[in-house]
Amino acid sequence: MTEISQQKMEQIAQMWNARGKGLITHMALEIEEVSTEGVLVRMPFNSDFCVDREQTLIHGGILTALLDSVFGLANFVAIEGVSTMATLDLRVDYLRPAYSRADVIVRANCYRQTRHIAFNSGSIWFDGHEGDEIARGAASFALTRGETSLFEAMAKERA
Amino acid sequence: MELQAINSKVSHIPFFSFLNFEIQEIGDLHAKAEMTFKSRHIGNPVMEHYHGGIIASYMEAIAALAVQPDFVELPAKPINLTVDYLRPGQKGPLFAQANVTRKGRRMASVSAFTWQADREKPVAEGLYHFLLI
Repeated sequence: MTEISQQKMEQIAQMWNARGKGLITHMALEIEEVSTEGVLVRMPFNSDFCVDREQTLIHGGILTALLDSVFGLANFVAIEGVSTMATLDLRVDYLRPAYSRADVIVRANCYRQTRHIAFNSGSIWFDGHEGDEIARGAASFALTRGETSLFEAMAKERA
Repeated sequence: MELQAINSKVSHIPFFSFLNFEIQEIGDLHAKAEMTFKSRHIGNPVMEHYHGGIIASYMEAIAALAVQPDFVELPAKPINLTVDYLRPGQKGPLFAQANVTRKGRRMASVSAFTWQADREKPVAEGLYHFLLI
């Protein structure tokens, strides 16, 4: 496994957590592991994402959103010199009903990159139940490469 | 089903309230809605575009309502989905329409799309399968 520098790791965690607005902030994602081989991210339980009145069943859509977000992170870590990226397409299978108030864990990686395209796959389970995947997804992203990275642009805006 | 009744049901589902949409048409195997932009929908914080996952979730919600507008407790059970992202979703209203392509006894297939100013220029298209039993 290729470890990335502590400095880059800190920069990624900082930018990811300090967006201050948007869905990723609302999901309160915590990066648990990150390397060029893949990322592992935790999403705490949030009743906003439920579909039932008892608030124990998570809507599939938020799992799709989680995969999309974490694919973006995996690409940023694995690919050098990405300026922007856009999701081209996304496919998700809901493998089990998502009944739990446990944290949601997602693992994602970029399994192939070309100059213009990144290919991703990922899987989701409830904390402590790694054997019982609740969703699996795959996506492709269009990349633009350049000097100014997305994260640098965000840093500039925040400054 | 009356719009008021369905929108009242939608308002009791936490995640549907989070998405912040209103059903404008519901009919024989189709549904149309409008979503009002909120800062929690943002994906790209610099451009303030909609998050792709929000667009996919929104189409899934409208597709489920098109299949089972008269659901009792939970919306139709999703099996899987494929989404094609065609244009960035800009800050502002986002419309969605879902059409049920086939509704069998056990399964349904639904296509959905979203657009902003011009219906001929979709932001995303999706294909959703639901389990009806």
